[in-house]
Amino acid sequence: MSTSKAMQQSFALRFSSGAFLAFWCLLAAFPIFWIAIMSFKSPVDAFAASPWDVITGPATRANGDGLSILDIVLGLCVLYFAVRWAFTRLPELVRHYCPPGIIALGWIFGALIYAIGFVLIFFGLLPLILGPLNGLLGPLGTPVLGLTTEHYVAVWAENEFYRNFLNSMLVTAGVVTVSLTVGTLAGYGLARSGSDLAFWLLILALIFRALPHSVLVAGYLPVFINSSEILAPIFGEGAPTLYGQPWAVIAVLVAINQPFTIWMLRSFFQNIPAELDEAARVDGCSHFQAFRRVIMPVMWPGVITTGLFSFLLGYNDFLVTSLLLDAQNQTMVPAIAGYFNRETTTTDQVEAVAAAVSITAPLFLLVMIFQRQIVSGLTAGAVKG
Amino acid sequence: MFLRKIALAGAVSLMGSGALACSYENEVPIKSLSAGFEAWKALTDAMAECGNFQAELDQEFRTKQPAAFEANPALYQIGGVANGTITPLLNAGTIRPLDDLVEKYGQNLKPNQLIRINGQIMAVAMMVNTQHLMYRSDVLADLGIETPTTWDEVLAASAKIKEAGVMEYPLGATLKSGWNIAQDFNNMYTGFGGTFFNEDNTTAVNSDAGIKALEMMKAMTEYTDPEVLVSDSTYVQQQFQQGKIAMANLWSSRAGAMNDETESQVAGKVVMAAAPKAMEGGAPATTMWWDGIVIAKNISDAEAEAAFRLAMEGMNAEMVQGANDAAIWLVEGYEPNDLAQGVIETATAIPPPPAYPSTTQMGLLHSALGNELPAFFTGERDAKATLVAITEAYTTSAKEAGVLK
Amino acid sequence: MKFKTFAAFVGPSVFMMLLFIAAPLVSVLIQSFQVTQPILEQVEVETCTPGFLTQTCVTEVKTVPVLDENGATVTETRWVGLQSYQNVLQMNKVWEAVGNGSWNDIMQIDFWKALRFTLTFTLLTLPLVIGVGLAIALAVNNATRAIRGPVIFISLLPFIITPVIGALSIYWLFVGDGILTAMLERWTGTNISMFAQGWTIEILMYFFQVWHVAPFAFVIFYAGLQTVNMDTLESAVIDGASRWERLRHVIVPHLMPLIIFIALIHLMDTYRAFEVIVGFRSQAHVISLQWLTYDFMTPDDAGNRAISRASASAMLTMIGIVFLLILPLRRTWRDHKGSAH
Repeated sequence: MSTSKAMQQSFALRFSSGAFLAFWCLLAAFPIFWIAIMSFKSPVDAFAASPWDVITGPATRANGDGLSILDIVLGLCVLYFAVRWAFTRLPELVRHYCPPGIIALGWIFGALIYAIGFVLIFFGLLPLILGPLNGLLGPLGTPVLGLTTEHYVAVWAENEFYRNFLNSMLVTAGVVTVSLTVGTLAGYGLARSGSDLAFWLLILALIFRALPHSVLVAGYLPVFINSSEILAPIFGEGAPTLYGQPWAVIAVLVAINQPFTIWMLRSFFQNIPAELDEAARVDGCSHFQAFRRVIMPVMWPGVITTGLFSFLLGYNDFLVTSLLLDAQNQTMVPAIAGYFNRETTTTDQVEAVAAAVSITAPLFLLVMIFQRQIVSGLTAGAVKG
Repeated sequence: MFLRKIALAGAVSLMGSGALACSYENEVPIKSLSAGFEAWKALTDAMAECGNFQAELDQEFRTKQPAAFEANPALYQIGGVANGTITPLLNAGTIRPLDDLVEKYGQNLKPNQLIRINGQIMAVAMMVNTQHLMYRSDVLADLGIETPTTWDEVLAASAKIKEAGVMEYPLGATLKSGWNIAQDFNNMYTGFGGTFFNEDNTTAVNSDAGIKALEMMKAMTEYTDPEVLVSDSTYVQQQFQQGKIAMANLWSSRAGAMNDETESQVAGKVVMAAAPKAMEGGAPATTMWWDGIVIAKNISDAEAEAAFRLAMEGMNAEMVQGANDAAIWLVEGYEPNDLAQGVIETATAIPPPPAYPSTTQMGLLHSALGNELPAFFTGERDAKATLVAITEAYTTSAKEAGVLK
Repeated sequence: MKFKTFAAFVGPSVFMMLLFIAAPLVSVLIQSFQVTQPILEQVEVETCTPGFLTQTCVTEVKTVPVLDENGATVTETRWVGLQSYQNVLQMNKVWEAVGNGSWNDIMQIDFWKALRFTLTFTLLTLPLVIGVGLAIALAVNNATRAIRGPVIFISLLPFIITPVIGALSIYWLFVGDGILTAMLERWTGTNISMFAQGWTIEILMYFFQVWHVAPFAFVIFYAGLQTVNMDTLESAVIDGASRWERLRHVIVPHLMPLIIFIALIHLMDTYRAFEVIVGFRSQAHVISLQWLTYDFMTPDDAGNRAISRASASAMLTMIGIVFLLILPLRRTWRDHKGSAH
């Protein structure tokens, strides 16, 4: 849309609004940026009092780990192009190659390929090229910035953090899928029913949402641990022990997440004109058929937005996963908490920071990809009240 | 460069597991649940070499263990406990006596390691732990200060260091609100000869020794970092490593970190000594702790036998030599070095410090202390009122738990 | 829609909520009126524990639970009425303190201390979150199209990051001689300890909460701004409305449902504050209601949990949230009535 003359803003206003935005971005990114820096330093540097020491990392450099000017320049170049590419070419490619019906899947696929490609180039190809180059260049090639990836190696290779990563993926994927399946149905039902029962269900859900989770979780633990005894009369010998089972945790998280999901989706469905499915019903469809043929094709923006919130809940959960999963099935967040709570060394703490940065990376990617969908999904209706 | 490092790390870990083989192949699947500090890591790694073994090193073990051992069959065969955390298992009767198994597989165990309750062996200890004095020998020597043996001397030394302008806050303390601060009070309180309970299970902390302990701790905070109420053992350890403090009463399991070159700027300068006494002629103001293993009751005898055999295989000289500085081991083959000096001096003091009591009441009192003490240090309550509040909090929870009528 | 169809649609969702939320809730409600204790007996026990070289053995009278023939602990459950609530609320002490006019004495009781913090935390951050969120949304809406993408991306970061990790990342900046504390010290020339007293920790916690939640408000408001009716806006301009008046009379009313929505979500989430206490390790100075419940629940070394008091405190927390939500919900009720008839 074009801005009319009357709507144009004075320079002062534009400037202050821009300055405010810049300040906010600094505020928003700084703590995260800072822990990312810490994760690449030796323990002595990471917890140094002077910010300059943390950035340059003298102790890390003294250990012989560091980046030369050439490394930095080339690395920044690659980073810049990678980010640009993600914002410009990647969306086009995905739209081009992906059949329109499964655009969400296409995005996930595209993001995965992008992530793998980036890791390969940045951590595989770049060091390979730079190693000999640094040797040739003499003073330009000597390290000036202390930087070490040993904590990442320790976390991912030695401590087998990839297991936690896979567990997290399993739990999160489960939570998102089940939550959305169950939630869309309920959200649709609630949106199309004007009965008082529907209203009270929503209010009840709201109160459920307000419950302190610690109360619920402590109630689950003894039941989950003894479930094979408790369920034996129903399932016989093969009754499962729920404790430590990812699917049991998925069920719990889905339930905890239901109130929010059905509220979001209900408001979203309310904004799809009821005439649409009524017309389908006149044509002889049942409610379910109307839902499948008429509503499903237009519901994706709202579902994706709601799905993102479910993803965040499943991915970031600490209380439920730390209590109900055993070590073999532990997800990332409790695993990181483990670094802090056990008898730790400073190295452990920096490793925990590295792990924390690692678990933030997929979230980065997710937001990068779905940013437009979040806004358009919210605009499309989920937030109209 | 990075990829090579990863490959190298992988190769080293593979070689590592190949070199230390187990003397037999374990056929029965065994699982363990324990805390997650270095010593447990060393032990469970050694056990894993025999195969079919999964270790869960979990900071939530305290929450899970009682329920997991009560399940039938128990979810874990082996549990890692300390003198506090064995209580719920003993009370619920979910761990088995080990006398016959010790006879069969425990040839290498020393009598000192066997935890006996009414004569029955209920657990096998692998290490002891206690809070004792660590100090910067260079700082104290520069100012001509002798190794402090009492808390009054510690305070005097702190004053001297502060006056000399060497450090602003020369003293470190594990006064993080909750478990840590309560434990520090326990140390000081027993140091002043206090007893925790009367005959009828009511608490006796509201006493002279209680007031003295609180006053001594308050005096300590004059020389500690003002943020001492968030300072746990790791924080104190870091303060040491960064050269910010000169003295602290710290867990012996942290001693190894002082000499860790990659983290510590003061490697080789920290010396271990006995825990200071609170009063002349008293015991060192600390408590003795042990960590060890128990075997679940709700499992088959064959599983119990396999589990115990596996644990004994792990607790051998080889394992200890690989992790000599990780703990003060009780296991055969441990060679006490300078780092163990503090524990040895503390444990052999006359009179010796008491072991941390493993009773239900102590658990309740510990929580009450942890919740009520911080208000004294933030200045919201005086010593007397704090002790009254602790007594009330204990009474409420003891009534709820059925310990008091 | 017929009831049967409705039931089929909402059935799975309601079933899960009933099984995993309502059922535990009912048991919590029942437990808050009960006390379950093991039957105890006093026995003399000899315990031998290791010293460094030799063992020390002590014989003492211990209070231990009685076990039945199956080896299970014998427990007894009693109805105690409101006793657990009284243990949490400690009304006698409160009245005494009110009599003395001593605010400090009330703040010594854990529940009231937690309630005070939870309420100020919730209610103080609420306008801040809405204000900051709206400001960012307006500023982004104002910015050139090219930079909107990256700015939205950066703005969302504090919201998506795992809360415990977000809290820790701010905690590290300030704890001890953290870099920001060190910077403040250099500017002011005084020695600053952010974690030595309650109010500085509280300020950091407020900051964290706004930092963490404002992006959520922002993205919702931003979406809302996309649907502002341009005609209304332009006719307001023609009527000579200033920028501020347009904001007040056109944009804010348009966003009102969203403001209510965010207020609702924020009230619920912030009232449940827990991670922020853990992340900032503020237990010594400030605690929240959910932390209090969690603390009652967490077993000590000897395995004791204060289940009854935890249940009571959980129920009290629930009653509190119902009160907080009444206002925003009345509007929802009116809307519901309006749309249904």
